Amino acid sequence: MSDLILQALYSGVLAGGSYALIALGLALVFGTMRVINLAHGELVLLAAYIGYTVESRLGWSPVAAIPFALVVVCAAAACVYGVVSRIRVDREINSLIATFGIGVILTNAILLVWSADVRSTSSAWLQEAVVMGPLYGMRGELVFFGVSLALMGALWWWLAKSWYGRAVRAVASNRDAAQLMGIPPGRTELVSFLVAGVLAACAGVALYSVGVIQPALGGALTVKAFIITVLAGVGSIPGVLLGAVLLGVAEALTVTLASSALQELAGMGLFLLVLFVLPNGLFGAVRRRG
Amino acid sequence: MQRILGTTLAGLLCATLSAHAEEFTVGAELPLTGSLARVGAGMQEGIMVAADVFNRSNGKHKIKIATVDDESAPAKAIAAVEKLASDGAVAITGGYGSNNIAPASDAANKLGLVYITSGGVDENLVTAGRKNFFRINNTAGYEKAALGLFADMKVKSVSIVYSTKDATSSLAQSVQKALAAKGVKVTLHAFDPAMTDFKPVINKIRLQDKPDAVFMVGYENDYVGILRAARVLKPQVKAMVGVWSLATPKMAAEFPDLMPNVYGTALLPFPATFSSADGKAFADTYKALYKKEPDYLGQFGYVQSMLLFEAIARAADKGTIKKGGIAEELRKTDRETLIGRVQFGANGDNINFSHRMGQHQGKSIVIVWPPQHATGKMAYPGVPW
Amino acid sequence: MRRAYFPALLLAAYAGVPLVLGGNAYVMSLIDAALVIGGIALAWALLGNLGGMVSFGHSAFVGVGGYASALLTAKAGLPVPAGLLLGGVGAVLAAIVMLPVLRLRGPYFALAILAYAHIFRILATEWTAVTGGAAGVSGVPPLPVIAGIDFGGKTGAYFVILTIVCVFAWIYARVSASHYGLALRAMHDSEDATQVLGVNSTLLKAAMLLLSAFMTGVVGAFNAHYIGFLEPDYAFAGLWVTLPIVAAIFGGYRTIAGPLLGAVVVYLLDQLVFKTLISSGHQLILGALLVAMIVFSPRGLLPLLTRGRKSDAGT
Repeated sequence: MSDLILQALYSGVLAGGSYALIALGLALVFGTMRVINLAHGELVLLAAYIGYTVESRLGWSPVAAIPFALVVVCAAAACVYGVVSRIRVDREINSLIATFGIGVILTNAILLVWSADVRSTSSAWLQEAVVMGPLYGMRGELVFFGVSLALMGALWWWLAKSWYGRAVRAVASNRDAAQLMGIPPGRTELVSFLVAGVLAACAGVALYSVGVIQPALGGALTVKAFIITVLAGVGSIPGVLLGAVLLGVAEALTVTLASSALQELAGMGLFLLVLFVLPNGLFGAVRRRG
Repeated sequence: MQRILGTTLAGLLCATLSAHAEEFTVGAELPLTGSLARVGAGMQEGIMVAADVFNRSNGKHKIKIATVDDESAPAKAIAAVEKLASDGAVAITGGYGSNNIAPASDAANKLGLVYITSGGVDENLVTAGRKNFFRINNTAGYEKAALGLFADMKVKSVSIVYSTKDATSSLAQSVQKALAAKGVKVTLHAFDPAMTDFKPVINKIRLQDKPDAVFMVGYENDYVGILRAARVLKPQVKAMVGVWSLATPKMAAEFPDLMPNVYGTALLPFPATFSSADGKAFADTYKALYKKEPDYLGQFGYVQSMLLFEAIARAADKGTIKKGGIAEELRKTDRETLIGRVQFGANGDNINFSHRMGQHQGKSIVIVWPPQHATGKMAYPGVPW
Repeated sequence: MRRAYFPALLLAAYAGVPLVLGGNAYVMSLIDAALVIGGIALAWALLGNLGGMVSFGHSAFVGVGGYASALLTAKAGLPVPAGLLLGGVGAVLAAIVMLPVLRLRGPYFALAILAYAHIFRILATEWTAVTGGAAGVSGVPPLPVIAGIDFGGKTGAYFVILTIVCVFAWIYARVSASHYGLALRAMHDSEDATQVLGVNSTLLKAAMLLLSAFMTGVVGAFNAHYIGFLEPDYAFAGLWVTLPIVAAIFGGYRTIAGPLLGAVVVYLLDQLVFKTLISSGHQLILGALLVAMIVFSPRGLLPLLTRGRKSDAGT
């Protein structure tokens, strides 16, 4: 029994790492612009399909697809920013619809270009088992967990130390004050979208390498990312990792101890439970109303 | 004089013949977008191949296919059937997912159109009294194949891992009942279709169930996830058995490390060998049109449509198309096809449907059950690791 | 919208549409489906405007309403009209279970409702004894034949859903014009100020949630009888979340007629025009249209059409 639980915890943590990577981009944009990018899942999926194209056409490992994915997804993210920045009225709700529309465009474009077949990596190296005592993992999962941690560390450093990172935090905290201090809000918001694009690109390639992709997956990814963002609380990067790992572990434990049919239930139940106790998420600052 | 008579007679004959040689529009209502896009596209390929083969082989009548995407949604499936009817379709072929087929075939019924499908295995489809509904496959056929294989393997215990969707859970549960009745120990593990990491489930099977075989009832993405998890955890089982979408050339080509010795339902071995001209015509036309190997979706789409076209032709010859002739002729169907002998019962179900089990061996797929269609022996015990 | 237009519109809807389009089953079934979306969009907009809460999980009410009605009519043998009402009641019960969520704000509330929708879906899938599990409920009885009119047919169903939608729009208008409506709108601007004045904001918001749930549940029940088959994945599908929101915002969600107009326009435009132009990619055009609408006319289609009336200040 304890073997089962240990494995469940281990699988949950690994899964949490990849969930966190998917959620980070959304969390960053949400924190900076209070805009929920409903096309985020499709950006991740786009990167995953780039990974597929690189592997099937060039025969390289999906990891080598990351540069290509970066270019394509950042370009797409910039386009999303372009649309969102044109919205002046009721930004929060209208950007929802605008990004939803972009998501629909992307999903259908992916369907037209790559067809509806399911895809995943055929790289034997990534699918090999890595065994540590009673803990089993797939090499791809471990590789991308490491990538995930590295990216989160880099993001944290960037937000804390670099000029643009701190500008992003300033704009997130108070847009007008930041503008008065000489920080160009428009450009900073674009930067946050681009960084979200970078995160989405890596998340997408990870998804292709570890899981199975199909065009209809975009929406589910966005919902999961959104749940983790809200669970973490707005404006908290470590919260995203913690929230994601919590979600992964909750799912794995539910599968092991109860039934695997209830996996989604675990996620939703956890989400509601946290919100009832901490209405602003795990690390969300208590905000004044109005 | 004789010449005039002769040419007049010949002219009259041509006129009567051509008056009966019409072009018929057949509607194809399929999911080409949405969650079922993959299977809808596969079925459409089979339908188009059938139209092509039929038009070439039947000199007299021509079939034109009009396709409307039902977007994997019931309301749009109904609308699609109505649009096809208003565009002059004489019958409908296609449909996937019982939730879409039920209302769509009801709509077809109200319009007096025949509806034939291979995408709905739910029992309710044939027990609700739909007069113009026909289907060439059902859960029972898959069940027979799985049970036959397990009997040959003489397994004592099986773990069934199944998706909680409609078709998969009804198959899993009927197989469980049948196996339990024969004294085989069965454990059921249902999983939510959104599951991507199967390691916790497979770990439970490895440490708690310890079965002889694992029976996977799901779709392509589920199989990949389950087999990957199994390759990592290496449970001590003797066989990994699945159902549809698994024993296909596509899976063998795209996931060569996951497939060795895995079993799944398959109509034809790979490389395909055909015992009938019909089968050969199918395969050649499919490869010519789509430049890839045919798969089970195309095969089913082909069979259901060919049978429909032949019934239309017979009804046209008898002049009964407008009087429900297509349904009548379809009910008289009794012929050998790629999927075996097809005969429709009064409720529209194919009473003979029994699938076959294939196994990935090396780079090819060998049919291992039933014995009369087998092209090789099963490699048992055998797993992909 | 001008009061004067109403009689003419109602006449056109009740008499004109069936006369002109009644023979075309295809267009009628599109209109029926569009009005179902419109009804849900109306209920969603009500919650947003009067309750001040954006919900991403109205599929929960659609599903619960659908299942309640389907099970009560198919298994317990109740007549279908009663089923429709009880579907609404079932959705209200679901909303009561959701009440703790009311203290959450903005996206937290929106997602919490979505979480409930997922939970209900899983419940429907697992509770096989009652709901039929993954196989769902087949053979849901169609709308009955009353006084010779077959309400299960395309045109008959059209009258039913049209009436449902008109009644709900009327209720929405009455609530908005009443002092509750005034209080709710004031709350929108400043909840603290209204609480100081003694308005029980939580009770009002709860009432709006229950009302929105009831409306959505009735529409969901109607849809279950119209389609005749109900499966957990369909009953709680994502499309019941996204399409009504798109319709409401496209048509102008701050107005009462906007969501209905948006639903009909978006659905018919997509199915009749775009789909014939590009049969497998038309959703792409719809997406592009949405983006264009939001960028160029964020208040939606209705204000665009009735431009010239200066009514921006109060809404």
